[in-house]
Parts: sequence; structure tokens; C-alpha cells
Amino acid sequence: MTQARPEVTVKIGGVTRILPSARAGSMGRVPLVEFIGDSEFTKAVAEEMLVMIPGGTEVLLTVVTNALPLAHELSHLSGLPYECVRKKRRPYMQDPIIQDAPSMTLGVAETFWLDSPHAARLKGKKVAIVQDVISSGGTAQTLARIAERAGGTVTGYLAAFRQGESALSLPFKYLEKLPAHI
Amino acid sequence: MKTHNVQVGDVSRELPIVEVAPGVNVALFNMLGDTEVTEAAGKALARLLPGDIDVLVTPEVKALSLAHVISRETGKPYIVIRKTQKPYMVDPVAREVVSITTGIPQLLVLDGFDVPKVKGRRVAIVDDVVSSGGTLHSLRQIIDEVGGEVAAVLAVFTEGEERSEVTALGHLPLFPGS
Repeated sequence: MTQARPEVTVKIGGVTRILPSARAGSMGRVPLVEFIGDSEFTKAVAEEMLVMIPGGTEVLLTVVTNALPLAHELSHLSGLPYECVRKKRRPYMQDPIIQDAPSMTLGVAETFWLDSPHAARLKGKKVAIVQDVISSGGTAQTLARIAERAGGTVTGYLAAFRQGESALSLPFKYLEKLPAHI
Repeated sequence: MKTHNVQVGDVSRELPIVEVAPGVNVALFNMLGDTEVTEAAGKALARLLPGDIDVLVTPEVKALSLAHVISRETGKPYIVIRKTQKPYMVDPVAREVVSITTGIPQLLVLDGFDVPKVKGRRVAIVDDVVSSGGTLHSLRQIIDEVGGEVAAVLAVFTEGEERSEVTALGHLPLFPGS
């Protein structure tokens, strides 16, 4: 007999998924949302998130990796372009914007990179921050800082899910709340 | 800046020519943030995907949106091979590869969680550009090791030498050093 684990089920736009979970130290298990590999769920979530894009937004900004297919689909459906911040320096980058991000997934601090040709596409533009999951708000804040350093103005913060509580008072919009641990 | 014109479906782009290593200049094709090119390429490659393929496998990160579009258009699932080992991975399978666009050795890692989706299945590898073939070779090794069969390789472009085993929408030349 296998012991039944508690499960988190989400239903977005008619698509239902049982979320996998990962063990996270002494906190128990953390439910994970996977857009990578799941084009059906990605499309359904993007369709529901369309109305959350603030009016006047000219470009979407996201960060690798799990939110990438979601940002692509949102861009495709809305007709707005998107830019994607990297978490590694690439050799072809020229004069990139470099921004340290606070502790993130599983407590690892990271550095965000946006190459100058991509940063140039944010200059003077109204930018909406797009994420898969907002938890502490640290990633959202780092992306906003990059948008501002590139000369853009942040119109709002969109995420598919919110997980746990944020100490930051950023104006998030999200579809559903997930438990921080199960 | 020197550029190289490419056509993807009915979308045209001027690719910047950049030096990625001393004396090695390439036309830099980056689909990240280019929804129009990704959609055009993904829909074109979806039409070229053999019908008996079970699953798509792609290396992160630039080809990820491409695999998403091919998956959405064909209904086939896709799996992403990561470039770092994540703490949550179960029994990961790893290979090292030297990529032409990075010049440094990098890791390709398949999460053990994804192994059953590849084992005994007919796999199509999906990438943005197949150049030296280093990434492709490592991807084949990982897929072989876990019991999958590479039945097709799809890319937007081949680069340098043409490759008959790759189904591509176009070809990028290498450019002499300036």
C-alpha cells in the first residue's frame, strides 16, 4: 500500500491539473506549477490571464525558464511583444543590464541579465511583468528594477498563481492562490 | 552592424552577425522574445513532424517556446532538457557538451521524472539551430541511454554544414573573421 499524499488540484479555463510537489527541507512539500512541457495548460492559463494585462501596456517582461512558454502564449494571444531576462551571462551579450535578485526558488540567490538590444525595446515603453508564480515578490521587484533601468515604466504585475504571503505591497494580479506547502 | 537576412515562413528578419569566439562569426538567431518568428517556425515544423512521433525533446532555453508551439499545434507532449541540475530532480541523467554559441562546456540534464516519457518512445529532437552538432550528439546520447529512439531532428536552421538528418526550414552560413 502506498500512502496517499495530499494533492493540490487546479482548474483553469476548463483544464484540470494535479500539481506535482517537491520536498522542501523541514517545511514539507511544496506544490509546483509546470508550464514547461504542458502546452494545453499553458494556453488555457494564458487565455484567462489576457484580461489581467493593464490597459496601455506595450511590452511584457518575464524571466527564464518556467514562465517562458506562458509569456510566449500571452504575447501570441495579446499581440504584445515580450522580452525575456536570462539568469546566465551569454558570450554574445553586449553591455547587458545586470541586476542581483534576492533569494529565490529553494533559497538560491541569482543574478539576472538582459542584453542591450533587448533592453532597448523597453525604453520609453509601458511594461507589464509576467510570472508563473509570485511568492515573495522578490523576482517581480527585480524585473521591475530592470524595466526601469532600461527606461521603461511598469504598468503592473501578472502571475498565473500566487503562493504564500508576500512582505512586499506590489499590486499583483493572479488567477488562483496556491498553498505554500502541503 | 553587419546582418544576414533570413526568411521563416512569411516572416523576414535581419540577423546580427556577431563574433562568438576569435575568428568565429555567426548570424545570431534568437527566438526569445520574437513571438512572430516562433509562431511561424513552430507551425511550419509542426507540418513537417512525422505522424508516428510520440514526444518532443528540446534543450533549454532558446528553443523552449518553439517546442511549445509545435506541441500546441500537434498535440504531442514535449520535454525540456535542462542546463543545470535542479535540487528537485530525481535520478537525473547528465551529459557535458561544448556549444558553439557559448564556447564553454555546459551540462545537459534530463530529470529522472521525465525518463518514462522517453523510454520506448519515438522521439523528435527540437532545437533552434543545429550547428556543430555537439548539443545534438549529447541529446542523442541521453535519449539512447534512457531507452528512447531518436526518430527525427527538427530545427529552424542548420548552420555551417548542411545536415541531411536534420529537418530544417533554412540554413545559416558561418562568416569569416573581420
